[in-house]
Amino acid sequence: MTLASFSSASRVASIGPPTALRVPPTVALSFAVIAIVIAWSVAPSLFTGQSPIVGVPADKLLAPSTAHWFGTDHLGRDLYTRVVYGTASSVTSALVAVVIATFTGGFIGLLAGFLGGWVDVVLARLVDVLLAIPNFLLAVIVVTAIGFDTTNAAIATGVSAVAVFARVMRSEVIKTRQAVFVEAAFLMGGSRWHILLRHVLPNASRSVLPLAVLQFGLSILVIASLAFLGYGDPPPASDWGLLISIGKDYLKWPWLVYAPAFVTIATVLSVNRISRWLRKTD
Amino acid sequence: MSHAYLAGAAKRIAQANVVILLAYVLTFVVVSILPGDPITNVLRDPQNGFGEDEIKAIIAAQGLDQPIPVQLWTSLSHFVVGDLGLSMRSSRPVATLIAEVLPSTLILSSAAFAIALLLAVTIGYGTQFVPKRLGQGLLRGFPSFFLSVPNFVIGLVLIHLFGFQLGLFRVIAPNSFWATCFAAVALGIPVSARIAEVLIANLDKESEQEYAAVARGRGLTQMRLFAKHLLKPSSLPVVTVIALAIGELLGGSLITETVFGRTGIGSLVQRAVSTQDLPVLQAVVSLAAVVFVLVNLIADLVYPLLDPRVKLVGDSRVRRTTADDSAIASSATVTS
Repeated sequence: MTLASFSSASRVASIGPPTALRVPPTVALSFAVIAIVIAWSVAPSLFTGQSPIVGVPADKLLAPSTAHWFGTDHLGRDLYTRVVYGTASSVTSALVAVVIATFTGGFIGLLAGFLGGWVDVVLARLVDVLLAIPNFLLAVIVVTAIGFDTTNAAIATGVSAVAVFARVMRSEVIKTRQAVFVEAAFLMGGSRWHILLRHVLPNASRSVLPLAVLQFGLSILVIASLAFLGYGDPPPASDWGLLISIGKDYLKWPWLVYAPAFVTIATVLSVNRISRWLRKTD
Repeated sequence: MSHAYLAGAAKRIAQANVVILLAYVLTFVVVSILPGDPITNVLRDPQNGFGEDEIKAIIAAQGLDQPIPVQLWTSLSHFVVGDLGLSMRSSRPVATLIAEVLPSTLILSSAAFAIALLLAVTIGYGTQFVPKRLGQGLLRGFPSFFLSVPNFVIGLVLIHLFGFQLGLFRVIAPNSFWATCFAAVALGIPVSARIAEVLIANLDKESEQEYAAVARGRGLTQMRLFAKHLLKPSSLPVVTVIALAIGELLGGSLITETVFGRTGIGSLVQRAVSTQDLPVLQAVVSLAAVVFVLVNLIADLVYPLLDPRVKLVGDSRVRRTTADDSAIASSATVTS
């Protein structure tokens, strides 16, 4: 969902009126980075001819060169290949997390804001509790409960972000509900559900989009952290966080940490830049 | 201290207690309702060599054969009077386990917090007075950059540069002065970025105000202008962010302690996670909730005293939601 909005946003930007939607160079660069990352996750074999799992022991721990862009690891595997093959699970799991957070959180916020009364009070307490537990700790607890693998890490990350979305959605819904056009729709005899779905939801969810994009970047970081602690898929998977975690035992060969870290940072920076741009053009 | 203020305060304190209790219940529900039975898994491990009867006896002694609502009630009634129970792994009181590691985490996170504040204010000062051609834009980019870096990477980079290359500290002595300093920097940087984002947005807003222009016209020095006229009004919204950031310190300590090989709450949680030691996890989560709720409560109670325009309303959500949302909103908009 978020990916689709990336591409549609860029398309609108390129054909739209130049005054309102001119793309700053940094944003264009961010879209380029995201495009590469998506391409890596969709078709990793197009970008590298080597195997992410089987290495050449004689070539272990080589420094970055033209043959091995990011160098090789302790088993002689090409690190660039490992990063490219790790992209899919790193990025998709962040996407899953965002979808869970947006829909669950958005739904809670919508109900609380639109129905009000005791529903609001109960849901607000739930959100308070979720907010009171540090995000990362919450993600760790959830992943403990459902088991260590990357999908579960994604679910845990999503759950830990539900509260933020619920809050923003709730305040947006309350703001929208008081708008004149909603009042008009009521007076014209619109039913509650009609107004909720046709008027309140579309308007309130506009401000959720930049937040969802921002959360996508955050989720990449949280999932990388979970993978770093070993709560994701075990090796030979090559999630970015796991690669860094393996690299930390070989700090004499620092590219094992710096290369996957660089890719992670570039991706998250790009996502955040796009989120800010979306918010500004909104 | 008006009557309304005291009534509002009482209501907020009651709400805070409810949140803490619910956090305890939530952890219990999450860990025990979901599938997987770590206790019998551990007991049935052939290496431990328990017979069927012994397993039954152990489970009955721990009260684990009771239905879940009964277990929850027993555990909750102990929690209310401050009894955190026994660790399932080591059979030692959870309170003792936490007390053992708490000082280390407290030192780390308070140092990190101090560093975070100092960094945020320094960056804030820079964005107001460093000329554009001397890299003001770079300073403005700092917060969003540091929010994009996983915090274990910051730790690893510090270890690599200062530990390995410069030899300032050794990783095998994680409690030495320098190792603690760098761990605190690693933990503090992401928190400082969060604070700096909101601070910069507010500083920009304040410096456009007329009184700031007047103060400049009166010929105040940069330092005085910043400290007396810009920082003070800007720091009010920052109070909310700081309250949110404290929770992040606790969550971040999980990773920082692993990276730097320190013992602390983080490593305690790690061990509890790998053995699914429910009482320890519950205790740590409630501890985190207590800290979070307390800090927020203090922020809420202090806020109206700092800014007379803000009223303490019994229903916290009315004001805090808008404050937090603007914090979220500005964290998404600041710096371009």
